[in-house]
Amino acid sequence: MSWIREGELNLIEKLSANILKAGPMPKHVAFIMDGNRRYARKRQVERQEGHTQGFDKLAETLRWCLNLSIHEVTVYAFSIENFKRSKDEVDGLMELAKQKFIRLLEEQDNLEKHGVCIRVLGDLTLLPLDLQQHIARAVVATRTHNKCFLNVCFAYTSRHEIANAVGEMAWGVEQGLIKSSDVSEALLSRCLYSSNSPNPDLLIRTSGEVRLSDFLLWQKARDQHREGQALQQHEADRACLADLLQHHGNGKPLDAQRRREALLNYTASREERVQDFLGALQHKRDSFLTDLTSQAALA
Amino acid sequence: MVHVYEFMWRVLHVLLHIHRTFITLFRIRLRNWNGQLWSRALAALLVPIALSFPKQKKLVPAPGKRVGRRYRWGADGKSLEKLPDHIGLLIAEEEPRYTDIANLVVWCMAVGISYISVYDNHGVFRRNNSRLMEEILKQQQELLGLEGSKQHSVEFLSNGTDKQDHQVLSCQSVVKVLSPDDGKLRIVQAAQELCRAVEQMEKTAKDINVTVLDSLLRESKTTPDPDLVLKFGPVESTLGFLPWHIRLTEFISLPSHVDVSYEDLFSALQHYASCEQRLGK
Repeated sequence: MSWIREGELNLIEKLSANILKAGPMPKHVAFIMDGNRRYARKRQVERQEGHTQGFDKLAETLRWCLNLSIHEVTVYAFSIENFKRSKDEVDGLMELAKQKFIRLLEEQDNLEKHGVCIRVLGDLTLLPLDLQQHIARAVVATRTHNKCFLNVCFAYTSRHEIANAVGEMAWGVEQGLIKSSDVSEALLSRCLYSSNSPNPDLLIRTSGEVRLSDFLLWQKARDQHREGQALQQHEADRACLADLLQHHGNGKPLDAQRRREALLNYTASREERVQDFLGALQHKRDSFLTDLTSQAALA
Repeated sequence: MVHVYEFMWRVLHVLLHIHRTFITLFRIRLRNWNGQLWSRALAALLVPIALSFPKQKKLVPAPGKRVGRRYRWGADGKSLEKLPDHIGLLIAEEEPRYTDIANLVVWCMAVGISYISVYDNHGVFRRNNSRLMEEILKQQQELLGLEGSKQHSVEFLSNGTDKQDHQVLSCQSVVKVLSPDDGKLRIVQAAQELCRAVEQMEKTAKDINVTVLDSLLRESKTTPDPDLVLKFGPVESTLGFLPWHIRLTEFISLPSHVDVSYEDLFSALQHYASCEQRLGK
């Protein structure tokens, strides 16, 4: 089954979609695809069939999102916690994922037509190598598309994502790219797997459970207002500068004009440091994927 | 054609508001109606008894009523299949009513919940910490009486308190007041601490994982993550409530904390008791 089900909406669906689009619409919707096994039990089919039908419904949902001009969708496909399931079920899910990513590569024309960019968020190193390679090929192949974005969370939990972001900042400090004083809420957000996406406006969980289950915890927490963040950063810069001058200055206090200039210089150099670090981080992540694709090509 | 769709959207939006208002009014009226019905039924039942037994004692003496309620609340807690160890009260409304919040805290204590957190996304409770504490102590006396207050002692924690573990054993309940600073800001502070350790070569970047971050963000080893958060107000968001700690928290929404009743709280707890957590399995 294809990733985006072809087919137009029927008349009533088209009418409803047009009415909905007349009002405010979310730009980014996140889905927790829950309930496949309960569905399979209810229909008295195999669990694997439940997962397959769950994927089909996802394909339909993506089509609806495209029709409703929702251009960014994030789905929670497989949690790191799900590795606790039986070996059969986990292997079945890995196999299903492999087939879907292979199918995706076969449909590149369709994806190009719709301009779909696929991103996979999570700790890919936890997955079987062949699946990692298929994922890498799919992500690299659709990297340049920019009409709509599908983020698939695979081998993901939000805590791992946050811990990974902190680890990357620590790596930046280790490499001498940034200082520990450069760490801020904004920088942490830019080190997350989902750094290229805006925060989701709406989270939908199927099957009636009312918990987040370790999904997008940072992104769903309401952001401090931009002015608040800018003010905090400004204060942090001042504090760092004061510290620097105390330790490395010549002892003479600066006048107001010199202090302002020094602060501007400090802020500019911090921003340059951060940009270089983010560039290096992006390069590290891209290289990981490119290495996987070249391994796949050689195999 | 676009204007037609816009018009249809506005009509549906108005209908949705009417629907919601109607549901709220109906809920309030039903509760009042039920109350009147019950008191009328009781009066109808009691009048003949009063007439036939003139020496009948007063039916519900005030101190006894408190004891009866306290035992009932405790029994209610024991009757549930599971009770949250840590409950969060998220007030997503503009004007907080301290008495109602204090009532909620006291009912939670009476039902047997050990850890209670109170949160609003503007930091109002944090700034008015002492007022909230006073109100809770007052309502504790009011609702549980002197005996009950002795049995259900409460410990107030403020941010950054280094809670000694042995103190927890002597207290029945722990109340904590939270604000958005306890959320993302705490995570950023922990990240800064870890990066400083790396800068000073006390740690390497590879040492940083979920466990290390979790231990920094866990203020006290004994305080569990919130199992249940009751959200009061119309906003459909967690509003920055402890993002790290709510990974498995059940969220139940209630329309408002104003004039909230014990029955509202208990039905939310019953709903929580029926949830099945599979933890990924």
